[in-house]
This record gives sequence, structure tokens and C-alpha cells, in this order.
Amino acid sequence: MLTKVKEFSQKNLYTSMLLALLVLLLLFFSITKGGTLWSLGTWNGIFMQFPEYGVMTIGVMFCFISGNIDMSFVALGNFACILGVQYMAANVTEGMGNGQIIGVMLVAVLIVMVIGAIGGVINGLLISLLNIPPVMATIAMQLVWTGVSVAITEGKAVSGLPSLYTDIGHKMVFGFLPFPFLIFLIIFVISAFLLKYTTYGEKLYMIGTNIKAAKFSAINTTGMTVATFVLCDVICCIGSLLMVSTMASTKADYGTSYVMRCILILVLAGVLPDGGMGKISNVFLAIISIQIIASGVNMFPSMNTYYASLIWGGLLIIVLILSTKLTGNGFFVKKRKKSS
Amino acid sequence: MSEYLLQMTGICKSFAGVHALDHVNFAIRPGKVMCLAGENGCGKSTLVKIISGVYTRDEGEVVFEGNPISKITPAEATRLGIQVIYQDLSIFPNLTVMENLAINSEITEGKKFVNRKRWEATAKEALSKIGYEIDLQAKMGELSVADKQLVAICRALLFNAKLIIMDEPTTALTKREVDALFKTVRQLKDSGIAIMFISHKTEEIFEISDDVCIMRNGKNVYAGPTAELTRQDFTFHMTGRELTDDHFVPKNISKEPVLKVEHLCQKNKYQDVSFELRKGEILGVTGLLGSGRTELALSLFGLGKPDSGTITLNGQEVKITSPIQAQKLRIGYVPEDRLTEGLCLQQPIADNITLSSLKRLSKAMGFLRHQDILDDANIWKEKFSIATDDVRRFASTLSGGNQQKIVLSKWLSNDLDVLILNGPTVGVDVGAKQDIHHLIHELANEGLAVIIISDDLSEVVVNCSRVIVMRDGSIVGELTGSDIPEEDIIEIIR
Repeated sequence: MLTKVKEFSQKNLYTSMLLALLVLLLLFFSITKGGTLWSLGTWNGIFMQFPEYGVMTIGVMFCFISGNIDMSFVALGNFACILGVQYMAANVTEGMGNGQIIGVMLVAVLIVMVIGAIGGVINGLLISLLNIPPVMATIAMQLVWTGVSVAITEGKAVSGLPSLYTDIGHKMVFGFLPFPFLIFLIIFVISAFLLKYTTYGEKLYMIGTNIKAAKFSAINTTGMTVATFVLCDVICCIGSLLMVSTMASTKADYGTSYVMRCILILVLAGVLPDGGMGKISNVFLAIISIQIIASGVNMFPSMNTYYASLIWGGLLIIVLILSTKLTGNGFFVKKRKKSS
Repeated sequence: MSEYLLQMTGICKSFAGVHALDHVNFAIRPGKVMCLAGENGCGKSTLVKIISGVYTRDEGEVVFEGNPISKITPAEATRLGIQVIYQDLSIFPNLTVMENLAINSEITEGKKFVNRKRWEATAKEALSKIGYEIDLQAKMGELSVADKQLVAICRALLFNAKLIIMDEPTTALTKREVDALFKTVRQLKDSGIAIMFISHKTEEIFEISDDVCIMRNGKNVYAGPTAELTRQDFTFHMTGRELTDDHFVPKNISKEPVLKVEHLCQKNKYQDVSFELRKGEILGVTGLLGSGRTELALSLFGLGKPDSGTITLNGQEVKITSPIQAQKLRIGYVPEDRLTEGLCLQQPIADNITLSSLKRLSKAMGFLRHQDILDDANIWKEKFSIATDDVRRFASTLSGGNQQKIVLSKWLSNDLDVLILNGPTVGVDVGAKQDIHHLIHELANEGLAVIIISDDLSEVVVNCSRVIVMRDGSIVGELTGSDIPEEDIIEIIR
């Protein structure tokens, strides 16, 4: 039994670290907070809160595996949602039936996703066709989207959403499943399938490992990069849509901390921006851990919620040190250059 | 004082249980040129790194100027007067010649402020040692390889070098530059400095060296004066076998050419290149670095658009705009640099082999079963006897020869008409090299048209029934016959 555990942990370094972390967290909060942790309310909260950035994390995961990074997704999502919310505010009128309102909502969602796709195409082309480093290209696009959003809203929050939409954030499906979590689950399953059972997933990992070799192997690397950013940004926009429903409004600078949080979660899960590695199951474990820390800190009334960031940061450093020590080589796997 | 400057006996070094060096003995006399020869992967570099202190030896004795040296560190090696000029020259391309020359001594002397006069004096002193003249303010990166090399030599001389080790210095030089380099080497030799010259080119070794040490598979198989060695002996010691007659004899060459290239030009890369290639034929393309051979190959693979000229494939004129299209036209390309262009090292062997044939392996809508990848990879593993117990291991776990077999499998699992091999056996050990050659022969006899691009003349001679020689982007000669003498190629190559 013990040897099996050892073998598993050697093979699945990040999975075992994350499982250990999860157990430690649950133990710690059970001991200190006992019943509060295990109440239905706490877990409802956890499963309602993480989907908005959890969905975004899955989107960015695709970028990371392909060896890219996206810094623009929150700004892009906000911009897309501003247009979406304005559309809804303009088209939902007094006395409309629920069916009609849902129709308007679906069109708005479609608008948001199309804008996300356009943002993804721009990111992808800047990087693959013009060879701009991903960090630079997407930071520039982040500024562009934020600028456009501020310009059309004058920096104010946009509201006027139908209550049907703002209810989404706290709706329970079948009486127990939070609606945002259902959306997360659907995206998670589709993404897992894409990575594991399609040529797209196979090529994604190969491109992330060595894009030049992939190009020499007749892989359409430009197409792959653009497709990956489209996928990433559309998924991120779905995250933004969830965020809009909980905030009941949207604004140019909502959720900007999510950029760093998503990156933190991915690195914690062993999906490194070096590309070519990482498992989606670990991303799920990392998301849950991060949310448990946030919710756990909330259970201490005397503690400022910002302590959660402090713990996240500390945790990241510990994981980085551990992974370096345990794998023996540097944290970022050294890419072999020409050897003599 | 002993007759030798540096004497090494019984040097052993292993990496993860593999003997890189197995009881190597050799010695260098002061004021002589010693040539260290051997094929790729025979342990030359490891030996150099032990002398320069980069690696620590596992066993053996080192005696320098009569004093035994227990442990060599890079600093110790510099203090003793051992300087290595590596292939990449370790220069700062964005700094000027003067800065490059002066920076090391400035740092070792712990100077904190910049004094241009002092820098200039140091640089001038360095250049004067070999009477070499160059603009001190020129940017290092803009110099030719030959000039960079001479600057590197000057820099080495600043450290009162007694032994200068040059790691394959002639690889990227033209004939005239090689002559200039040899002149400098003789000059250094006359001033009493010992030179250790690493090379695998027969002609150069016989031209410049006094002594020679030949290594094979981590052992030194010959050490002694060059004069006592014939060229036949030399080749035998290098390869470890009598030259067997495994020259390729084409069996069924098609009448019609499968590939016809006419007046192909790419600005500043190659001009007016025309040739034909038939099924069942192995065509050699050779030339020095920068002769346009790689650029030509890349154009045929859709990476580098030709400015003018035509490419005709099976009688139809085609434009090859990307590797994807090249694949559709049944052209395969095994790139020059296996590690950066050929493989995803940190991915499984299986996924590397099937990377170019995912479309064939997938079902409708791009669905893919991982088992299909493994099955396909296992077929190639058996066929090419790739040395691994599990195709799920990373490609980085294999040796150079086996890695090259992966890259070959990747392309051969597609149906090909034309296969272009750029340096197919660079960094591949002798055994695997022969395997790969036989494999190529077999493929050609099955009707594949093959182009081998290589600067390894022996490889070209053994495998190709026709050889095109390129110089400065143009075809300067074409040789045909089943036994083309290497010397004939050397005649026209430079």
C-alpha cells in the first residue's frame, strides 16, 4: 500500500501535493472552525463563488499548455459584457414575457462570446503572425480593451439587467446544484475531453513543448495558436458573464485581480506557462483549494479578507520550492539547447 | 621538467553509468600542435571539459609542467595557462572588439570603474601578440566567424596561455580563412605555445598537426606523431572498421524525374539552382556552412519562399508555401537541428513519432484514441529497432541515433515521394549511423527519391550516386558515379 502511494506521488507530483494541501486545509478549518466549515451554507458559497474565476482559469489553461500567456482576458471580458449588458438593458422592456427576455439574454450572451472570439483572434495573430511575445501582446490588448471600455462607459458601472439574469448567480438547479457550478462543470468536461481525446489536444501539448518542431512536422502552428486564444477568450468571457450576474452590473475594471489569481492557480496546479505540461484535474484541485482558503478566512470575523492573498502567495512559494526540490531540476524545466 | 606540457593518464569519466571516457591517455608537447580526432560522440568534448575544469574526472592522473594536478577547476585551468576556444567562441556580440578583449582582465583585476585608455591599451596589447589588425570599435557580432575566432585567440593570449584548445575551429570557415587561421596557429606554435586542435577532417589534421590522438567510443585508439600515420590507418582508427563496400548502388531509378527544380532563386540565399531528382535515387547536396544548402532545402519544404524559378513535382508545377502543403505534396524533411527543430524532447516518443500523421490516426471530427498513437509508434519502434522499452518514455531519454530514428519515423509514416534529409547523422554514433544509412538505401530502392544534405563528405560519398556541390548560393559542380572521390568534392567545395 505504502509503496503504491509512493509510486503514485512520484509519478503525479502535483496531484499528490494538491491532495495533501486539500486534506491539510480541511483539517485545519475543521479543527479551528468545526461545524461552520461543514455547514451546507459554506459549501453552497464555495461552489457558487469559484465558478466565475474557475471558468476563466480553464480558459487560460489552454493558453498555458500551448506555451502562451493571456493577460487580456478580464479586460476583454469586461468590454464584451459592457456591450452585452447595454444590449440587454436596451432591449428588455416592461411587460415582456419570460420567454422573450430569455431570447434577448441569449442574443446578449452570443454577442459577448463573439467579441471574446474576436479578441482571441487578435491575440493569436499578434503572437503567431507578428511574433510579438505573448506577455507584451496581451498586456497591450488588455490596455486597449480597458481603454475602450472606459471610453464608452465613462468609467461608470453599467447596469439595468433583467432580474432573470441577475438571478443566475444564485440559482439552484434541481434544488441543490448552483447554476454557475453547472456551467463550470460543462466547460470542465468539454475541456477535459478536448485535451485527452482529440487531435487538437494532442497538438496543443506538442506545440507547447516545441513550436518549431511542430512547425517542421507540418502542424499549422498559426492556426493552432489562433484557435487556442479564441477558445481561451471565449471561455473567459463566459466567466465574465457569470461575474456580471453576481455583481448585477459590469464595469471596465471589475475582476482585475482575477488575472493574477488564474495564473496563481495554474502554476499551483503544475500547468506552467513554459507550455506542454499540466493536467486539467489538477487545475480543479487547485481551484477548490484556493476557494477553500478564501472561504475559510471569511469564517474568522476578525480577519481581513485580504489575508487570503497573503496565504495564496505563501502557498505558491512553498509549492515552487517543493516542486524544485522534489523533481531535482529547476522549477521551469530547462529547455535543452543545442548540445555538443 | 618533463618533455611534456600536459600529460594525462588513465582518465575515466562516466555519466549515469555510461563510460564517456575509458582510460584515456594522452600528452601534449610544448610548442607543438596536437590534434584530437574522432567521430561525433566519441568523447572529445568530455575530454576537453575535463582539461578546462568544467567536468571533474572520476579516475586518472593529470600532470602539468611536471606537477601533478589533483583537481582542476576552471579558475585553476586559467591560472595554469589553459585556454579553451569553444565553437560558440563565448563572446559578447553586442560589445565592441575592445570591450571583448579587455573585459576579462578588468573583471579578474576587480576594477570598478571604466577607463577607456586602459581598455584600449589592453586590447592593443592582445592584438599585437599575433600581429592582427582590426578596428577596435567594431561590434563583435558584425564580424565574420574567422575574425571572431582571431579575437578569441587574442583574448586567450592575454592570460599568458601555454595551452590553447580549439574546439572544431574550422567548421564555419572558408578555405582562405582556414589558411589564415593555420598561419596564426603556426605563429603561436613558434612562440612556444602548445595547441590542441579538435577536428574530424582528415586533410586539416594532416596539414597542421605534429601529434595526433584519435578517440573512438571513449577510448583513445591511437596516440603518436602524425607523420607515422597513413590516411588509411587514420580512417580505420577513426571509424573502427575497414571501409566496407556499403556504397549505395541505385537499383531502380525512374525514367521521369519526380522533382525538377529550375532556375530557383532566393535573394541573398541561393541563385539559379536547377536540378532533377528521380525515384530510387539518392542525391547528395553538399557545400560549406552558408553555401545555401539548408535554405534550398527549406524552400523545397515550404519554409522560405523562392523569389523566382519553378519547382515541378511529378510533371506538375507547384508552389510550396508551407510544410503543411509540402506534406500534401508528399515531401518530407528531416531538419538539421534535431533537438530544436525535430523533436519535442519533453514529450513521449510515441507522440513524437505520430505528430505528422495525426490526421490519419484520428477519426471523424478529430477524435483520437491514445491507444492508436501507441500502436502506430510501436510499429516503428520494431521496424527501426528504436532502443526503448516503452514508447511512452520521453524522447529526451534516447541517444542521438535513436532520436534521429524517431524523426525519420515521423516522416516515413506518411506516404512520401521525396524525402529531404539535412545532416541525417550529425551527433549520431557510428553504429546507429550505419543503421540509418542502410535504412535510407532500402527506402531508395523501394522507390523513394532522397536528397541528403550534408557536409560530412564521407557520408555523401557512401550514400549518393550523384552529388551537387554548392558555394555561395550557386551550384558549382555536379559529380556522378558510384565511387566519387572525396578529394574531387573538396577541390570544388571552397
